[in-house]
This record gives sequence, C-alpha cells and structure tokens, in this order.
Amino acid sequence: MAASIAPECNEIKERYDTCFLKWYSENDHRADSNPEYLRGNTTSNECEELFTKYKKCLNKVLKERGIDTMLEDARKSSSETDSEFLRKS
Amino acid sequence: MKVFSSTCDFDYSWDEVSTANWRKYCPWNDKATHVVGVDTLSRTVDPSTGILRTERLITCNQSAPQWVVTLLGGSTTSHVYEVSYVDPVSKKVTMCSNNLTWSNVLNVRETVTYQPSSSATTQFTQEAKITALCGGWQKIKNKVEEASVERFKENAIIGREGFETVLEMSRRVFGEQRDLEKQKL
Repeated sequence: MAASIAPECNEIKERYDTCFLKWYSENDHRADSNPEYLRGNTTSNECEELFTKYKKCLNKVLKERGIDTMLEDARKSSSETDSEFLRKS
Repeated sequence: MKVFSSTCDFDYSWDEVSTANWRKYCPWNDKATHVVGVDTLSRTVDPSTGILRTERLITCNQSAPQWVVTLLGGSTTSHVYEVSYVDPVSKKVTMCSNNLTWSNVLNVRETVTYQPSSSATTQFTQEAKITALCGGWQKIKNKVEEASVERFKENAIIGREGFETVLEMSRRVFGEQRDLEKQKL
C-alpha cells in the first residue's frame, strides 16, 4: 500500500488500509444481494477504530502543513459530484 | 480550457479491478514513483444506496518542465483531492479529482470510471478538463494548458502499464491466498 505523507502515521495507516481492503474484497458488498453490507454493517465495525487513530495522526500533520485549509476549499466543490454520483442508479 | 480523454479495457473482472484500484499506488506499481503519499481522509457508505464514498489526498513529486515549475512558484510537491464513489449495484467506480496545489493558476478536474464491459473485462474511461487561470495572458494560458495535456497523454500510457502490473500481482497474491486456505481445509 502507498505511504502516508506523514511518516509517523505510516504504521497505523498500513493497519487501517489492510483492514479496509480485507473488508472491501471479502465482504460480499459488491453482489446484488448484499445483506450484511446494506444493513449498514460496514467499515465502521471492523476498521473504524483504526481509522480514528490514523485520522488523528494525519490531521495534525495536515494542519501543520496548511493542507487542511486547501482541503476545506476543495470540499466545497465536491457537493456537485456528490449530487451526481451519490444518487441511486 | 482543454480536454484530454482516453479509454481502454482491462482483461480483469470488475471485482478485481475495483479492488486493485485501492492499491494502484502501492510499491508493486513501479510506474508511479511520483506518487509519494495516498491518505484517506474520510469514508462512508450511504445506507440507502450502498454507495461507498471515499475522500483521499494524493501527494505527488511531479517532474514538470522547469519553466512550468518556475511559473507556478517553484515547488515540485503537489496535492490532489479525490472523491470516489463505488456503486455496488450498478457496478461502477467513479473517481473525481481536483488539484489543490497551484489551483490559483491552473484548474485540473479529472474524472475516471471503471465499469464492467463483460464478465471478465472492465472498461476504464478518463477525462481531464484543464483550465489555465492566469488572467489575460492568452498565449501563456494556451502554453500551460497544452503542456498539461501533453503530460496527461504521457501519464495515461504509463498509468495503464503500472496498473496492469498491480492487477497481475493482485491476481497472483489472491490466488496464492486462496490456495493456502484450501490447503488448510
């Protein structure tokens, strides 16, 4: 898996990525009948704890480098793609 | 504004491609050494549609032409903000990205999709809209846009080759894992 921009977050990031990929590839959420996934049993259960720790580490670095403000601006425009691609197909 | 688009088919199922896509910039991909960081910022599943939405920050060390680097302020590290959507029902991956760095001079909006073209193949589409924003200087704007489109063209070929390697490695590793599990049973 690719590295984090913050070397100090690499270890926790690696654990989170591995957890996510396992969930993504093993959970049968890509089948048409995906009971587990559609009931809302998603990443939150297995990987959320790792993700919280990783985000905590990462957010500190994003703030230090001023990337957080760039992201805020970019996020404003993502509502456009959200309304297009979050729709039911 | 200039538009670059390309399309191709991968000889792998959508399941394989959409999974390998998450590790596109891993060390297996020796064609993407300019990508120095891929960080996940948020990840949610829409309970009504099952669509997985992911925000990522992608950090590159670009080897842009020197005059571009100079024009854009001298830094070679650039950040890209990407929002992706995986629709498990229609089997479609859509990834939308925007440049964060140099965004006051250049706007690059890229949309990539992966959809099954048959049960064993997946169609990839890519479209990039490039707009230079530096006020007034039409000649410079055109130059910047043209250079960016050129770079996209080169990278599209390299990107495809790199992803092919990742797909091949993923299939091999998943196959080995499956064999191991079978042996255990």
